[in-house]
Amino acid sequence: MPDWFIGFLKKLEYVFLQKDRYKQILTGLGNTVIITLGALVIGVIIGIIVAAIRSSYDKNKESLKLRGGPGYYILKVLNGICKFYLTVIRGTPVVVQLMIAYFVIFISIKDGVPIGIFAFGINSGAYVAEIFRGGIMSVDNGQFEAGRSMGFSYIQTMRHIIIPQMFKAVLPTLCNEFIALLKETSVAGYVGVMDLTKAGNSIGGRTYQYFIPLFTVALIYLAIVMLLSWLVGKLERRLRKSEH
Amino acid sequence: MNTDEILIKVSGLKKSFGEIEVLKGIDVEIRRGEVVVVIGPSGSGKSTFLRCLNRLEEPTDGNIFFEETDITSRDVNIDQHRQKMGMVFQQFNLFPHMMVMKNLTLAPVKLRHKTKEEAEQKAMELLNAVGLADRADAYPSQLSGGQKQRIAIVRALCMEPDVMLFDEPTSALDPEMVGEVLEVMKDLARHHMTMVVVTHEMGFAKEVGDRILFMDEGVIMESGTPEDFFGNTKTERARSFLDKVL
Repeated sequence: MPDWFIGFLKKLEYVFLQKDRYKQILTGLGNTVIITLGALVIGVIIGIIVAAIRSSYDKNKESLKLRGGPGYYILKVLNGICKFYLTVIRGTPVVVQLMIAYFVIFISIKDGVPIGIFAFGINSGAYVAEIFRGGIMSVDNGQFEAGRSMGFSYIQTMRHIIIPQMFKAVLPTLCNEFIALLKETSVAGYVGVMDLTKAGNSIGGRTYQYFIPLFTVALIYLAIVMLLSWLVGKLERRLRKSEH
Repeated sequence: MNTDEILIKVSGLKKSFGEIEVLKGIDVEIRRGEVVVVIGPSGSGKSTFLRCLNRLEEPTDGNIFFEETDITSRDVNIDQHRQKMGMVFQQFNLFPHMMVMKNLTLAPVKLRHKTKEEAEQKAMELLNAVGLADRADAYPSQLSGGQKQRIAIVRALCMEPDVMLFDEPTSALDPEMVGEVLEVMKDLARHHMTMVVVTHEMGFAKEVGDRILFMDEGVIMESGTPEDFFGNTKTERARSFLDKVL
């Protein structure tokens, strides 16, 4: 074995195995995955609600205005709230939102992971909402009319007819949002969360060896992203096939 | 079989889109079991009129009584009345993500609280009647236009409606498929289904219609039996329209 290789192995052993430092990487990976998945769930729920409100306002404002009654004004206010949410969340950096959540809003909670899930979920919801809204608008209006003409309410039509079709249309885009979210969670260290990035940084600080831990962290992100991208590609091909 | 029972009564119906007044005051009564065919040049408001009947278009003014309920009234739950008004569209509007059987049973199961078995049995009977029983497990994309429209008619019938509204049901079809759809509609008429049909098929209007409504510029210009309308056209507009299409 060449000398440089033996040296490299020794460094690896020092960086990862001594004092079980590899466990930090595992903890970090676990936290990154938990925050990403949790945020995705929150993001999808917020996204559906916001997209449903925004698109029903766009689709129904004329007829609701004509009918009179409070319906139009309720929807208008809800739509205004959604627009405000989208503007603020998409107009400010996620790391600032995260710090506000941790240091200002949930000042009594010391564990950064649930706060990370909350903050990234709120953030992701804004982007997912716009993806969903585009998806809802792309479903042919005749589908709405068919549903309504059979006696389904607006919400039932959405639930049984429009949203299943919307999901099919936006699934690849949604997966890309998921990939982006995974990388964005790397700022969770700002609020004291031991995520994957923070783990690499912390090992680097302890060992004065930054090269190995940071490249390891980068490779782990890359591997996850490549795996997800491959899955998205497969999914896209399958969806295209079932469309004829 | 015309009874004297008025199923739908429209009075003073107006509809504007922004500045443009598409319907300028429609008054008409449709009796149970009657087949009313609405014809007229494009842009005459006939589709808008039909779509106002189940409030797919919100009327700007006027009243529509369906089974003696004013369905334009604010406290009416329109969804409940729509269950009794089947509608067939020019573009079929089948649900592409569901198999034919699911298309047919979705509304009866969710809205009528039928069991899946009941709904499927009813759907199968109707599929048999239109000769498509073997396509129950197909997706809409695997069907021809004529098949799609026949399925769309069956889908509306699965709710056991009191009236069927047809919005140019054959206009998007290849010519060789028009016949099979009209045949299903004729069969419905023979079974005394109340029908309001917007169409350009003059042959169908003559043969099946109990009454012709000729619309132009947002009003009903002429109304009468097919013999009367085609044999003894009263207005100049209707004459010039018939000259062009016949």
